[in-house]
Amino acid sequence: MGAKKLFLVDDDEIFRTAAEVLIKALGLAEEVVSLENGLLAYDALIPLENTPDELPELMFLDINMPVMNGWELLEELKHAPEIIRNKVQIHILTSSIAPEDLNLSKTYDFIEGYITKPLTNSDIERIKSGL
Amino acid sequence: MNTTTTSNFTIKGSPLPIAIVDAKFDIMECSGALLPFFELSGKDEINSLFDLLGDVREALGNKLKKGTRVTETLPIISRKGKLRWIRTNVHSGQGQNQQFQVYFDDVTEGKIQYELAMQAKKIAKIGSWKVDLIKNSVFWSSMTRQIHEVPNSFEPDLEQGIEFYKEGEHRDRIIQVVSECIESGTPFDVELIIITAKGNEKWVRSIGEAERSNGKTVAFRGVFQDIDDIKKEKRKNEELNNRMRAAVESANIGIWDWNVADNDLIWDDNMFALFGLERSEFTEAYDAWETSLHPQDKEFAANEVKLALEGKKEFDTEFRIVKKDGSVAHIQGRAQVFRDKEGQPLRMVGINADITGLKRKDERLRRLLEVTEKQNQKLINFAHIVSHNLRSNSSNISMLSGMLVSDIASKEKERFLKMIHTSSEKLEDTLNQLNEIIKIQQTGHRDLQEVKVFTILQNVCESINAIIKESNAEVTIKVPPALKVWGIPSYLTSIFMNLLSNALKYKTLETAPRIEIESKDLGNKTVLVFHDNGLGIDLKKHRKNLFGMYKTFHNNTDAKGMGLYMSKNQMEAMNGKIEVKSKPGAGSTFYLYFMNEQ
Repeated sequence: MGAKKLFLVDDDEIFRTAAEVLIKALGLAEEVVSLENGLLAYDALIPLENTPDELPELMFLDINMPVMNGWELLEELKHAPEIIRNKVQIHILTSSIAPEDLNLSKTYDFIEGYITKPLTNSDIERIKSGL
Repeated sequence: MNTTTTSNFTIKGSPLPIAIVDAKFDIMECSGALLPFFELSGKDEINSLFDLLGDVREALGNKLKKGTRVTETLPIISRKGKLRWIRTNVHSGQGQNQQFQVYFDDVTEGKIQYELAMQAKKIAKIGSWKVDLIKNSVFWSSMTRQIHEVPNSFEPDLEQGIEFYKEGEHRDRIIQVVSECIESGTPFDVELIIITAKGNEKWVRSIGEAERSNGKTVAFRGVFQDIDDIKKEKRKNEELNNRMRAAVESANIGIWDWNVADNDLIWDDNMFALFGLERSEFTEAYDAWETSLHPQDKEFAANEVKLALEGKKEFDTEFRIVKKDGSVAHIQGRAQVFRDKEGQPLRMVGINADITGLKRKDERLRRLLEVTEKQNQKLINFAHIVSHNLRSNSSNISMLSGMLVSDIASKEKERFLKMIHTSSEKLEDTLNQLNEIIKIQQTGHRDLQEVKVFTILQNVCESINAIIKESNAEVTIKVPPALKVWGIPSYLTSIFMNLLSNALKYKTLETAPRIEIESKDLGNKTVLVFHDNGLGIDLKKHRKNLFGMYKTFHNNTDAKGMGLYMSKNQMEAMNGKIEVKSKPGAGSTFYLYFMNEQ
């Protein structure tokens, strides 16, 4: 059984388009909310504190984005209401293969996974089984 | 011992230790002072001189005979376990029955001193000699003989004695001083080399003085000392000293000695050389040192001295001085503070070394390190591009094509093909940009030429004239038309284009863009200043990444994050640099620094 709602935070329009098709085709989520950067994701998450049912169960988060990048968003979420960190499974989804990024991701205990692009069918199946 | 049957009362009451003994050394009578003198009490049974001094037969004559008069100093171990030397005088008495009076005297102290003196003489290898000019005889003590390495039976005459001195200056000198001593009674004290009977060379000290009678020298005597070891030791010290001095001189090290209480500062010649001062213009005081200090180091160095005097810190520091000719030298100073019993500083002695050369090497190394770090940063940036830009495009292509091959995107085939096309074009762009960057980084200094800034600025403005007009922008060029910088025309065009188009792109919504370009001559550098009234940049957040690759800071879809990275690389390739000052809402100012010499 897939998620009801998924946040896809990435500045790459082509990737967002392709990923949305793939996610829906494989039934990972019913609804995919595309967000261009961290700040837009933050602004979308915070108002849902009081309506936790509307919070996405999944969030795919790119690292390199303008305005607010993935790390900056994670820093903000550290101080956000706990319900957000508990309810939303966050997966880093990046084209970076730098070990520093992977190591940095391990310092956040509320991160669920780290996926290197391209996003594959097996990635999606694995996440689906972990829901 | 029977003291009651005595017939001689004068002895009994004597305050001196006296005993009357018979020929067999048996004590017949004694004075009351005798027992205390030998640290004995009445309980001790004392019948014979043997009880006091041990068996004295050998020392005092096997049997005492009438008319005997013996003085002998004998050692005893006292009741308290101390070694005592007792001088014993034996006189034969007047009476019929063979009686002998024995007087005792403690000479321990004198004896020990004498022994010490003898020992000292022996250790110091001091002998004596005497030349009697009337009898024409020469006396040498056994030590004098020993020093000459002749047997004890050796009987020298004056001539022989002189012939022991090494031929040449040593013998000439001894003849001279001895002659003077004989003729006018002038005493002498000389250090010369002798060749001993066994053929060894030896330094000796000979001291002599005349014995005069009727204005004539009748004899002269003196002491003779083997000073070979002392002399050799001294020579070794001198050598060491010389070697050290040579080392100190060649290492450019100056030595100073400061009498803190009297404020008397002594410098060696090297110090004057280090500080470029003449000895004559130096007041030999602390102030002289302080005056030479570099103005920026004065307070610090003076404080270091203060701390050292207070004992809070070792004096081991570096400071700069300004020499008389105005040149600056880096000095390393180390010193030690000597104090009195109360801990008050008396003297401070230290060294100064000129480390200017070392400093320069240090600086060169540091610069080299900076270059390496920069290169490393570029490599990391490069890794970042490969990781991010190449991979993001290639992974998109892989995903899109994968979805096309499977049935997932079958309904959207058209759209997916278009996206694949876009991604491959982006990939191509990225590769071209990388190529461009590699080209920039290969720019050599030889490619630089003098470029007229004004002309290039005009050309750039013309080429973006349409956008300038469209955004109602006002571009003011305050650069002198003749101004030239060392650079590469195509890079300058690219940088100017980038800065101007950024200023137009990131304008505020309220006011029309105003851009001002001016130049300043900083001596060895020329700086071009681009000032705009646009959105500004939050440098607190973005300074680190501003000139990085693929970094964008405004939510603007045109931004590719390439421009400033390229500009920075181009500036560096031209030996220059780019800096920025900005605040959100207060516009941005970019500074382009160009070296004035190639």
